Amino acid sequence: MEPHVISNVVVVLVLLAGFGIAAFVRRNRMWNDALRELWRRRPVAIVVVAIYAGVALLDSAAWMGGVESGEDVVAAHEAKSVLDRLFLGTQEKSYSAPFADAEFYGGADLAHPGSHPFGTDILGRDVLYLTLKGARVALLIGGLTSLIAIPLALLLGVSAGYFGGRLDDAVFFLISTLASIPGLLLLIALIMVMGQSTFSVCIALGVTSWVGLSRVTRGETLKLRELDYVKAARALGVSQLRILVRHILPNLMHLVIITFVLMFSGLVLSEAILSWLGIGVDGSWGQMIDQARDELTRSPIIWWNILASGTALFGLLLAVNFVGDALRDILDPRTLRDQP
Amino acid sequence: MDAWVRGWAAALGLAVAACSNNPYPDADTSRKILYTNYNEAPRTLDPATAYTTSAHAITGNVYDTLLEYHYLKRPYELIPGLAEEVPRAEPQPDGSVVYRFRLRPDLLYQDDPAFALGGEGRSTRQIVAADVAHELMRIGDPAVNSPVIEPFSNIVGFRAFSQSLAERREADPAFAAKPPVEQYAGVGGIEGVRVRGERELEIVLANPYPQILYWFAMPFTTPVPWEAVAYYDGEEGRPHFSDRPVASGPFVLEEYHKQARMVLEANPNWYGVRHPEWQAPGATYPSEGAEGDAEAGLLDPALMGRPLPFLERIEFRREKESIPAFQKFLQGYYDASGIIRESFDTVIREDRLSPEMEELGVRLEKSVIPAVYYLGFNMDDPVVGRAGGERARKLRQAMSLAIDAEEWLRLFTNGRGVPAQSLLPPGLYGYDADYENPYRRVDLERARALLAEAGFPDGIDPQTGKPLQLTFDTPDTSAQGKLRYSFYVNAWRKLGIDVRLEATNYNQFQEKVRNGAYQIFPWGWVADYPDPENFYFLLWSEMARTRNQGPNTANFSDPGFDERFLAMKARENDPERLRLIQEMRAILEEERPWIELFHPEDYALFHGWLRGVKPAGISNPTSKYRDLAPALRAEERAAWNQPVIWPAFALAFLAVAVALPGVVTFFRERQ
Repeated sequence: MEPHVISNVVVVLVLLAGFGIAAFVRRNRMWNDALRELWRRRPVAIVVVAIYAGVALLDSAAWMGGVESGEDVVAAHEAKSVLDRLFLGTQEKSYSAPFADAEFYGGADLAHPGSHPFGTDILGRDVLYLTLKGARVALLIGGLTSLIAIPLALLLGVSAGYFGGRLDDAVFFLISTLASIPGLLLLIALIMVMGQSTFSVCIALGVTSWVGLSRVTRGETLKLRELDYVKAARALGVSQLRILVRHILPNLMHLVIITFVLMFSGLVLSEAILSWLGIGVDGSWGQMIDQARDELTRSPIIWWNILASGTALFGLLLAVNFVGDALRDILDPRTLRDQP
Repeated sequence: MDAWVRGWAAALGLAVAACSNNPYPDADTSRKILYTNYNEAPRTLDPATAYTTSAHAITGNVYDTLLEYHYLKRPYELIPGLAEEVPRAEPQPDGSVVYRFRLRPDLLYQDDPAFALGGEGRSTRQIVAADVAHELMRIGDPAVNSPVIEPFSNIVGFRAFSQSLAERREADPAFAAKPPVEQYAGVGGIEGVRVRGERELEIVLANPYPQILYWFAMPFTTPVPWEAVAYYDGEEGRPHFSDRPVASGPFVLEEYHKQARMVLEANPNWYGVRHPEWQAPGATYPSEGAEGDAEAGLLDPALMGRPLPFLERIEFRREKESIPAFQKFLQGYYDASGIIRESFDTVIREDRLSPEMEELGVRLEKSVIPAVYYLGFNMDDPVVGRAGGERARKLRQAMSLAIDAEEWLRLFTNGRGVPAQSLLPPGLYGYDADYENPYRRVDLERARALLAEAGFPDGIDPQTGKPLQLTFDTPDTSAQGKLRYSFYVNAWRKLGIDVRLEATNYNQFQEKVRNGAYQIFPWGWVADYPDPENFYFLLWSEMARTRNQGPNTANFSDPGFDERFLAMKARENDPERLRLIQEMRAILEEERPWIELFHPEDYALFHGWLRGVKPAGISNPTSKYRDLAPALRAEERAAWNQPVIWPAFALAFLAVAVALPGVVTFFRERQ
């Protein structure tokens, strides 16, 4: 299947999932209250995250055709996203400063003077456009990796905690082993083995990041399985699977959500580090920062590339962390007690 | 109290007066000492194995060669060095070729304790033909592990010598324990290297190979005394021969601290010093040069015809970081410097020196490195290669017409480089400055027409109905690397060809190349010696990468080309050779196995007090031709390094201001 079709399907699925969660939250009093509280505490951060998500979705919905073939003849045969279409034909020849009318070196006239709020990069691409495109990559890395890591962590953590015995030993051995290998080395090794692609980077990040959540859910499950209502359910002959789904998992959900949000920023940051090592994902902010490494030592300095990508990265991480912290305060019963 | 204050004031005044950032002893200020720097010490100084630029900076100056390159003339021309003249090829009836070298009389090595091995109390001895033969045998010695065995294998009996040496050593441990020079004699030496008396040496080549003479202008073939190899064995506190050159050349390695500094001193035993009356071409500043040398001040009457070397000493200081090294150059403490990337734009403005640099009296010397960078097509590939026939050829021609090497140089190398029209860089025999390759300019109209003729109108592959898809394999996964190669991809996209960048690390890239699984690749080649053969052999079918593991990564194979190549290889520079070179160029022009991109350019900075500086391009010893004016240097250094004293006073004032309240309080409390 064409990549852009998959991308479009994902957009639809994400939107459907969003509506589904919204409908669920509306009916569930606890979650409804929690989200209301979150909105009350961190409205700006939530809006910022929503804007990033919106840009990423705009860059994900793509279709063929309707592209005026300018210099780049191949582009007319490629699927272009909404974002691509907005920035079509903004190509310059090389560096230009923000809002400049001429090229940075040499001073030749630009094809689109004054229209690049963040300037252009060495190949003449609009830096604002590249920065906005980075949002999709960042959310893709965070989202896809979480989709790999969280189910893995839940499966292993919950089953270890609930069933105990040999299984617990085995899982805990695995966790200890993984935790004792330096994370970055393991990441690099995995990517070298699997080859360099967005997907393999996500898998590598997922494999190295499930350990923390797994340990937390195992501990929580150990506690939950000894509670009276679980014991009662077991005495009444309810099946193990049903107990897990009905009584254990829902009571772990707040942990999952908190970890997901906090892990998210860590993942985006890890990708930036991988890009620095030359094994990141194409088009990510990390890669833009890596490309700008040379530019900072030039004189006169080329600053807009790193400023735009760095700010975008910083903005997303800050907003996500704010939301994550607030979520933890709201959802974690231990911190809840301290609230007035 | 009073005396105490006065004492400190005097000490402070003295400190300020003597304040200087000069890293060298004051006594050296008025001497002709060239200061330069290095980043990494060479791994070995053994002339048979040293193959890096940093090693040649030392070996090229301390080891003299039989032949050398004319300092100024371009294209490069061989002149005699230790030999009396450049030998001519003497073809023999049996197809072999003989070269007769005749050494100058009365050549001496530097003074060295090693020579006591050859006779009690001896501190030097004459350089004889057997020493050159000794070094050739060392190259052939498998234990020495020389990287240049291949060209010398043209000598009759060279391979056989290596083989029997290895076999005897394997079979007979007593033989293997003897000193190398006795082992060499034991297997009878190399058949094609004949020593006739003290000064005559005959080299017999099994087949014509005129390029062999260039190898006699490189430190690999310098005379090496057997005493030095035997004496400097790394035992009993003696250094190893690879760290202790025994000089035959204009300079002697006086000090060798790899981590800090290396010092070369003029060699009083060198023939140029002992026999200036010979006016030997390798020991005299030349009085004729290439075009433009007179304007560059290289044909200065104060230099011309004077005996070499001019310098008393060369000091190499280790600088691990480039920025401090460049700062010291700006302060006058290094005499020459490259241009570091960090300050390129402050040093160079619009391809010329910036006004600030010109004010310092700095000179910029640009020199084209004898190298070529190119994009190659894998001719074994069914789409872009030989199997595609006429269609693939037109595709390659179209793709060649889309690449703007000049723009690439502007974007990525600050314009340092000459766009290439053919594979031969300037300064080589056969290079033609007026030649214009019809496929090496940007002409998108023509490219599109050719693409349509090739059956890909607007880049559409009729089989899929989509843009033609090709892969571009690169050995660089860094973000900057991807940008560099994206430039070419973007150019091809203008034709409607969808080229995918496949960036892998260097090892994976090598593996792809070994397996023949590649379509388009970037590569470069730097000449070993300035002969067109050293470039054209990169497309000789015998050198094919996939079949023979040779450097012909394009796997180009064309009988007409091969035939002309072999004829060209066996000829000396004459009109017939030029004709062959032009015919080969025409084949490559049409066939386009390569898209020639550029010849890189080296920018070097020199201070005004240095004279007689011409960048060499080819790695060869040039320090002996350099001269400098120490008085002017001392003056400029003093002017550029005025001590800034006010921070010392400001600091003292601040200290007093801080201490004063305490002192006042102390005295008040005591009262």
